[in-house]
Amino acid sequence: MKTGLKVKNLSISVPAAGRRVAVVDDISFEIPAGKKIGLVGESGSGKSLTALALMRLVKYPVHIDGGEILFAEKDVLALNMKEFRKIRGSEIAMIYQDPMSALNPIMRVGDQIIESICLRSDINRKEARQVAIKLLDSVGIPEPDKRVDSYPFEMSGGMLQRVVIAIALSGEPQILIADEATTALDVTTQERVLTLLEKIAAERGLSVLLITHDLGVAAQFCDEIMVMYAGKIVEQGTVDQIFFSPTHPYTKALLESRCDYTIDVTKPIKSIAGQPPRSDNRPSGCVFSTRCEFAQDQCHHGVPDLVPVHNRLTACFRAKELFAPGESI
Amino acid sequence: MAPYDPNGIGAGRPFMGPSLSHLFGTDNLGRDLFSRVLFGGRISILIAIASTVIALLVGTLWGVTAGIQRGWVDEFLMRTADATMAIPQILFALIALAALGASPISLPIVVGLLLSPTTARMARSAVITELESDYIVAAKASGFKSTQIILREMFPNIAPQLLVQLSINAAAAIMLEASLSFIGLGIQPPSASWGTLMLQGYSFIWNTTWYVLFPALAVSATILAFNSYGERLRVTLDPKRVHP
Amino acid sequence: MRKTPIQVAHVSDVSLTYKSKSVAVQALDGVSFELRAGETLALVGESGSGKTTAARALLGLEIPQSGTINILGRDLGDLKAEEVRLLRRQIQVVQQDPFSQLNRRHSVERIVSGPLIAFNIGDKESRREQVTKLLNAVGLESAHLQRRPHELSGGQCQRVAIARALAVEPKILVLDEAVSALDVSVRAQVLNLLKDLQRERGLAYLFITHDLGVANYMADEIAVMFRGNIVERGNREDIFKNPRHHYTIDLLSSVPLVTAARSKDVKREVRALPNVNLSDSCRYRTRCPIGSHQEKCHSTPLSISSGSQTHTWRCHFPGDRED
Repeated sequence: MKTGLKVKNLSISVPAAGRRVAVVDDISFEIPAGKKIGLVGESGSGKSLTALALMRLVKYPVHIDGGEILFAEKDVLALNMKEFRKIRGSEIAMIYQDPMSALNPIMRVGDQIIESICLRSDINRKEARQVAIKLLDSVGIPEPDKRVDSYPFEMSGGMLQRVVIAIALSGEPQILIADEATTALDVTTQERVLTLLEKIAAERGLSVLLITHDLGVAAQFCDEIMVMYAGKIVEQGTVDQIFFSPTHPYTKALLESRCDYTIDVTKPIKSIAGQPPRSDNRPSGCVFSTRCEFAQDQCHHGVPDLVPVHNRLTACFRAKELFAPGESI
Repeated sequence: MAPYDPNGIGAGRPFMGPSLSHLFGTDNLGRDLFSRVLFGGRISILIAIASTVIALLVGTLWGVTAGIQRGWVDEFLMRTADATMAIPQILFALIALAALGASPISLPIVVGLLLSPTTARMARSAVITELESDYIVAAKASGFKSTQIILREMFPNIAPQLLVQLSINAAAAIMLEASLSFIGLGIQPPSASWGTLMLQGYSFIWNTTWYVLFPALAVSATILAFNSYGERLRVTLDPKRVHP
Repeated sequence: MRKTPIQVAHVSDVSLTYKSKSVAVQALDGVSFELRAGETLALVGESGSGKTTAARALLGLEIPQSGTINILGRDLGDLKAEEVRLLRRQIQVVQQDPFSQLNRRHSVERIVSGPLIAFNIGDKESRREQVTKLLNAVGLESAHLQRRPHELSGGQCQRVAIARALAVEPKILVLDEAVSALDVSVRAQVLNLLKDLQRERGLAYLFITHDLGVANYMADEIAVMFRGNIVERGNREDIFKNPRHHYTIDLLSSVPLVTAARSKDVKREVRALPNVNLSDSCRYRTRCPIGSHQEKCHSTPLSISSGSQTHTWRCHFPGDRED
């Protein structure tokens, strides 16, 4: 029975200027079994910390202040570390942005996969090596029986990321978290790696949480999208809803400010004034109110909840009035 | 600052232990140890400061030249540094002081030279790291000449590390001076530094342990202080300390 | 009647090889391009394409083994070091990392006045005035004068770098992935700013980027690079509507777009890209869906073909795809 992940009221804080400041502020979301969810945001949105919290990799002085992370009905945050380690890396696995630093430079890649396999099952090294070769093949590495003995410095970025994926898969996870996993790759390599992830997710029924700042990547890969801004989820819905009929001013503004090769080059790009707030400098009221073109008095004084609007969830007081259902931008 | 004349014989009875009138007790001639340690400290610390400055100047020039020139100049300078560090310090000091004669001038020079290779290595690696940075490329593109780039752009960025090194070298200098004076190579009587006090105290160790203990404690405490200060300095001077 | 733009720089058949400990890497192989006043040339490529090396060569930071680099009528190879330094007044750079390209121990004022000091322009008073004007021109204020880089955001740092680059009123600006490290919304601001500045000051831009969207928005001419060669060159129409070289075609189809509907029928490649064989006649041969099966691509040298005055490429079987 494949399970997903349910996050409830997660809050993470850091110390700043003598007090604690919320970097992730009371967010709740779900990663249903077998679905690919995108977490989209700019720097300072808190998306990477959210991912780290799911793996309980948050280190002092960053602190998880509250909330529950439910995996198979158990709160992962409440488990003791010994119990949690059975889950981390096996049930829930993570891949990161820089494959070079994720791998041990003085160990052969095959050995690193074997190490991961042996950690979780009782098979001997010879069998583990065969499993490793099969894994390398399944992540699209040519000549896996030779590559299993390569060192990381002998391989390109794209190949290394595939190795990292292989290690993540060795635990046979149900949930895969990819934190900017293709950001450091060339675009041609990125396409292949994303296609690979799609294929693997489909074959194994994995749930994937893809964290990215790249709207195109999120649009192509994910089923559902969550948009984060300044520690809060501001909108949540299917890919079509988010990208073709957004109901939050930030989502709309973010889409309008993107620069891909289909935009109109004769006009200036519609950018959002100012910059994302630092965690110690967040506005009172709605987090986006200081940069929002639609902000009114109520926006500066109250914090909008994430509520259903036009079949998806939005945190904006004026969402219903500003956006008609199914309206394209 | 000292309550008694450090050379005042008969200020108290010989080999008295610590008391209210003589905080550290007295030595074999009844001289107040507290005053002797204070005056000894002045000499030790002055020698240490002089050594540190010499180490900094020599070491920085050494390391920066190596880091900028690279190639065979770098190789040569660094192998010389390795060679210097490979010689046992006491042996080096012995030969150098025998040649120069032990004096308050030669001692800082010898100690400074002993400490300069480590400073050189540190300066060199700091220089190499900085010169690979984007802002150096930007400075070149801005039209600065090489000397300007080194002085205006690079130096402020290695200065913090050099300052920290200063503090750490001071600690090492105290140690070295004390050691050299303890074996009779450093400060000569009648001047007293902590090292010479320890030497004298050592010869009376069967009469009292206080005579050797207090200068030794003073040395330890000062080394600790310099090292801690160096660490605090390192943390304070790091511009990345500000969290976004 | 459009005025013919003035050529401000000309790179001609430049080849450059890096020699590191044991391996020699040919970063540039016979690369040629021109920069014109008021226009942008985008050098587009992925890692290993040589685009950054081309920028460094233009800035005089790397010396090519062959070919000529001509800036405002002067050949870099003929100049002595001091003459090259003086020529730097005409060509400035903005690099990728907003923070590391600024001296972290200097204030914004000291940073931006750098080039003015290097070229001995004005005195303290006039320099401060000039710096304030420059900061305003890039959307910053005099309140920022005494700040240090770590007190600013990425976008603000990049603006400081742009202000510095404009200080000595150069004719050419090299932008080396200048917006790649910025957030999406900030990127838009900086791109708009760069376009405005170009219009106002008639600057020639050499824009190095891996991002086709940025190239499309900024460039009058786009040169696509692969492993040290320019494989295709043209204007927006040519490259985006009518790409001929297979690398360009593959590159365009790899870019994930928000607006493109994903056709589920297209068979997408999963396996890792094969290694490049530099000894082949066409460097893209091992990865090319056509070239990997063609003997001609392995043995016969390439020549330049063109479809129009603006559009050229080097390919034996241009644009020849079944799908």
